[in-house]
Amino acid sequence: MKTLDDVLKNKIHGIYYGKRILLPFAANFLKIVVEDDVISDFSDSTESGVIIEEKENFTNIYFLEYKKINEAVGKFKGIKILLAEKDKDIFDFANHRKLVLYLREEHVVEIEELDKEIIFID
Amino acid sequence: MKKIICLFFVFAALAFISASAPVYAASPDNIPVENLDSSHSSSEAHPLPTPYMVIPFIVLLLMIASGPVLYHHFWDKFYPLISIVLGLITAAYYFIILHDPSAVLHSVVEYLSFIALLSSLFVASGGILIKVDKKATPVINVLFFLFGAVISNVIGTTGASMLLIRPFIKINKGRIKPYHIIFFIFVVSNTGGALTPIGDPPLFLGFLRGVPFFWVIQHVWYIWIPTILMILLIFYLIDSRNKSGETSSEEYSGRIEFRGIKNVIFLLIIVISVFIDPGVMSWVPSLHPFPLGIREIIMFSMVYIAYKFADQSILKSNEFDFGPIKEVAYLFVGIFLTMIPALQLIAYESKVLHDHLNATTFYWATGTLSSFLDNAPTYLNFLSAAMGKFGLDVNSMANVKEFVIHDEIYLQAISVAAVFFGACTYIGNGPNFMVKSISERSGIQMPSFFAYMYKYSLPVLIPVYFIIWLIFFNA
Repeated sequence: MKTLDDVLKNKIHGIYYGKRILLPFAANFLKIVVEDDVISDFSDSTESGVIIEEKENFTNIYFLEYKKINEAVGKFKGIKILLAEKDKDIFDFANHRKLVLYLREEHVVEIEELDKEIIFID
Repeated sequence: MKKIICLFFVFAALAFISASAPVYAASPDNIPVENLDSSHSSSEAHPLPTPYMVIPFIVLLLMIASGPVLYHHFWDKFYPLISIVLGLITAAYYFIILHDPSAVLHSVVEYLSFIALLSSLFVASGGILIKVDKKATPVINVLFFLFGAVISNVIGTTGASMLLIRPFIKINKGRIKPYHIIFFIFVVSNTGGALTPIGDPPLFLGFLRGVPFFWVIQHVWYIWIPTILMILLIFYLIDSRNKSGETSSEEYSGRIEFRGIKNVIFLLIIVISVFIDPGVMSWVPSLHPFPLGIREIIMFSMVYIAYKFADQSILKSNEFDFGPIKEVAYLFVGIFLTMIPALQLIAYESKVLHDHLNATTFYWATGTLSSFLDNAPTYLNFLSAAMGKFGLDVNSMANVKEFVIHDEIYLQAISVAAVFFGACTYIGNGPNFMVKSISERSGIQMPSFFAYMYKYSLPVLIPVYFIIWLIFFNA
């Protein structure tokens, strides 16, 4: 599995199909903001509308409430994620990272560290 | 291209119906003389609707209130459809049962004017980035609100809200709570804009009718100041108890950076275009029966131009997206149509009862209805009723000028209430919903429609407005 730093440094993209996003790294997810949904319940319960599934080389995120997740975002508006890398101490706030996923054409997910100008209240 | 062709056909159809509408309105067969309504700013007569036709409006309000809380995803998916269907039920009633399409067409014209202003301000301000590298404190927030309240009289409550909400959230990073946004809505999106006709649509409507431009500031400033100060005092007391983020070691330079000067020019064009109206400048041609005026054409052009020429990096930093304005556009198409019967019934009742109405009733009635209905026609209805007390006609500019000179307390009560009470609900004023939407997209969990009222507007605003009534209108 690639580290988050590798992914950001080498500009490795994720992919998306329908309601599913595949990210090329593993992490402990703390918060996801998509449209005006602020999601922090990542239990197995499907009530939150999001299921996260860690595979050997990637992580699946299913947005159950969206038929096509790319329709929920725009050219300048991505999906914002607060997470801690898998091997880092999740209880140390310094390890919390903010990312934004831009869903482009051809199923490409651009993964970027959140610009400090973009507001994301964690 | 397909969308443009569709829009062309829609406008052509509206123009055609609009051109033929006065034939129905003038028909003496179906219009009882006593059932006249002035809510649509003309001397045309309209048959009164049955009170049952208020039901679609109540259903829509209840769904706006309960949808995001009780059936969030269903609501997210179907609110455009629900809003349009409820609106069409009302429109069909007017077309088929009352044979009065003019009421609907007036509402469509008002809606287009409303959405032209909101969308142009939204897009133009989306291309402006204000960076304030300063840590918020209760005092800084109070000063920020004061600045927002003043500026909302220059660029409108919508323009000020769109321009300032993002920097406000940013400076409060680490300590922001829903009450910050709610007080922003109270001060910048509503009460602040009570000093000039640019501030809020009802005052602009009054200006078009003959209320002098500077009458508002001359007669409202001494009500505006204590209102703003009381709200800010309450905010200060609450914000002083917020200790979040105090341990943060982040350093701030104190710099304020401003980017997107092109869009400031677009913003100014939009504000100036507000005055390009045949009622203000006699040389401006009326495009009737076309449902848009020159002003709306300029505003819609600004939507395209401001987006096309905006700095892409600013749009990215602002996470610019048409989502919030689409939400407002869909919801308000339903609100504008379904509220027609409610407004007509209020207009009728206020004409019948005008002898019994005093400053107190004008203040509270205009205020209560402006909390839930569009405050512009509500203002006009009560202005009409107040003038009716003295045998004056709201459709005569000379009569309005005469009324303004002799009986200022009524107009004061109506003006102040129409603007101030728009802060009482999310739907009381256009920018309220957009501020809510932008805040939620930033990760702030905003209170529901009802929680907004019982947690904030009822305990904060109503006591303030009560004091204002006690001092100024309890005659």
